[in-house]
Amino acid sequence: MIDKIKAKNLSAQLLYVGTGNPPTTHPHSAISNAFPGLEMDFRNAWRRILKGLQLHESSNLVVAVDDDADPRLRMLSSGWRLVMIEDTRLMVPVKGPLIVGGPIVDLPDNGFQDPLMPLEWSNALASILSEHAGRTVRCKFENVLDKTLAPVEFDIELRPFFAISTVNGETLKQPVISRDLAPPGELTQSLCSPWQSDYRECACFYWAATRPDYVNVETGPEGESTGHNWMQKDRTPETPKLYLPDDWMDPELVTYLELYRQWEKSLRFVIDGKDEDPVTPPGR
Amino acid sequence: MVEITELRILPAFVIARLGSSPDPMDNYRLEIPSAVAARRIVCAETLIVIEDTGEVYPKPLPFHVKFRDAGGNIRPVSPFLEVWALLAGSDELVPLSADLLKEANATPADVRWSVHVGNIKAFRRTGDKGDQILAAVGPFSDHDPKPLLGTASNFLPNKSIPFGSVRYIKPNPQFPQIRMRFTPAAGKVYGPPLGNGQHDGNLADEVYDTTKGHWKGYKDPADATDPVLTLRKTTNPGSVYAGTDLPDGAHRESWGYLDDECDGIVDVELRIKDRSLRAYSRIAAGPPTFAPDSMPVRTVHDELEQAMFGPDLKTEVTPQEIEEVMQIVRRALETVRLMNTGQLNKFSKERGVGMARMDFLDVNRAPAPIVDPAVADSQAIRARHERVLLALESGSLAWFARVLRDYDQVGDLSDDGRKKMPALMRGADSRHLALTRRQVSKVRSAAEFILRTTVKNGEAR
Repeated sequence: MIDKIKAKNLSAQLLYVGTGNPPTTHPHSAISNAFPGLEMDFRNAWRRILKGLQLHESSNLVVAVDDDADPRLRMLSSGWRLVMIEDTRLMVPVKGPLIVGGPIVDLPDNGFQDPLMPLEWSNALASILSEHAGRTVRCKFENVLDKTLAPVEFDIELRPFFAISTVNGETLKQPVISRDLAPPGELTQSLCSPWQSDYRECACFYWAATRPDYVNVETGPEGESTGHNWMQKDRTPETPKLYLPDDWMDPELVTYLELYRQWEKSLRFVIDGKDEDPVTPPGR
Repeated sequence: MVEITELRILPAFVIARLGSSPDPMDNYRLEIPSAVAARRIVCAETLIVIEDTGEVYPKPLPFHVKFRDAGGNIRPVSPFLEVWALLAGSDELVPLSADLLKEANATPADVRWSVHVGNIKAFRRTGDKGDQILAAVGPFSDHDPKPLLGTASNFLPNKSIPFGSVRYIKPNPQFPQIRMRFTPAAGKVYGPPLGNGQHDGNLADEVYDTTKGHWKGYKDPADATDPVLTLRKTTNPGSVYAGTDLPDGAHRESWGYLDDECDGIVDVELRIKDRSLRAYSRIAAGPPTFAPDSMPVRTVHDELEQAMFGPDLKTEVTPQEIEEVMQIVRRALETVRLMNTGQLNKFSKERGVGMARMDFLDVNRAPAPIVDPAVADSQAIRARHERVLLALESGSLAWFARVLRDYDQVGDLSDDGRKKMPALMRGADSRHLALTRRQVSKVRSAAEFILRTTVKNGEAR
């Protein structure tokens, strides 16, 4: 048991798990490549990083301006997006081939025909936050509804990401995400509703710790892998090792309704890549 | 007499995990038996809460770690939050305990807790404040369980969604520390009545009033028939709620389903004479980790660490950071071990594959698998990761460092760009995943350090 931690040792405080707490209570057990996420959609932690503005959790659009914000910012909720803070660009081009083996060209998205994509906040703002947290930064916006409008710039306070305290007369970060950045409910607001849908809805087979994909894997006769889809209902040691690709219409896979009604029975824990015993044997 | 000058709640962010068992999950630790073997789940110090008194006692060791109770129900993961204190003249935080309070001329009854949590998933879509489901308890100083009952203006009379409960643990001589426990909900689905007098069998309770709110029947903006600004404001991915896909092929009509996940803030206040000391932490409740011996490759802790310390290592890599790099590679191995990489590498216009399909659907990228299918099989990918981990202290990490995707290269969908690592996974910006810049910085610094020291020792070939 740890009985003291230096007040300035924020690394130790971030890593602290607590007496009696399993490892899965700690943020190092929660995925952050949130699209939209499982335990939370961490993208929401950045929405209010610019004082007075509410940004879209997954793009750079200003979705709202706070009632108590500088009145000059109010215009930004009518289709303006944040494209630059100081000298840091927040969008990058999407490029690749349109045909196999073809030249590399701009690849505009199918929704808005935009050849630029916004970077996720966490990486895009890492340097800015490190250098300017708590200070005013120069922000450049452009309008997505009317491209003829000239870009606009405002000086806006970049909120500190963490709570601040004063220790022995010295101002220090605390290890807790600032209260100003996310009111209750906001870190989970863009997740699936209900959350069970995510296990059927998303092609998020890479959140393996929380949502395994390929289980009971063995090496086949040609050296290739064989195994089961974790969502496959019939998974006994005798079940042939044939991976069923994800298809929500396939009755061999756990359905939406089964997740809503009996997810605890339908989803099985996987230890060392192998299924736990079924909670209710198939067919009963 | 001691003077307490500051409080903190540690951990500053805890994740509870849903489950319907009345018996919360025991504690365990994850041991690494050998370089590439799965982590071993080993029982660890577990605190059992005495229902009648709110005190805790230790569960006798050893015990078999079980994720379900005897009835097959999943045991909820119910974290404790501890209060730590800084004393005048000290630069160290120590656990706040009943003994320490006494020395500070206070008692555990002078500690007051307040908890505010919410589930605003429906509000995020509809924009109707009546769809915000919020629960608040406190301030309180007693040791009874405090249910977190989520209510909303758009609920039927006297209806709520239980988000779990919190409890101020009563200090005793064996466990005098000041702590709270957050027990999450069971993981149930809630919603509106069907409206035809029949019960919706998917629901634990019918709570939503469709005469007040419009979550049932709501449709995410999804195509050019919707106003551009509302389309841009919708979640990404969109239409991720229970509902019926409409014949137009774009929209989904919501069934009005809600759940009992939540996140929020725990406040603690200590009043001593005329002074008030405060601290807060964050809590969230999500699904269980169904492969509890594995860890994700990029985590919320990685985000917090980057936000705290910046994207770059400012000094030469330390032994602790080299160990962290090993953990990153291990987490990558644990991820690919449970992914059918051969399948996810394929291109198809139909579901059941991965990023190659998304690149085509999102931006018309040429239809092609990500890597050569001959090397994409799970066993081959797993073996490659194992080799990196086994030979981390030779040159293999340098290769790993070279092939990592930079955060600003996520838009590079060339053949080479898509093969960067982590491969076959989606990032928070919807394109191929990049690690945090700090993670990449650690890996590259460690690779350079290992290469330099190996050359220095004359071991390089």
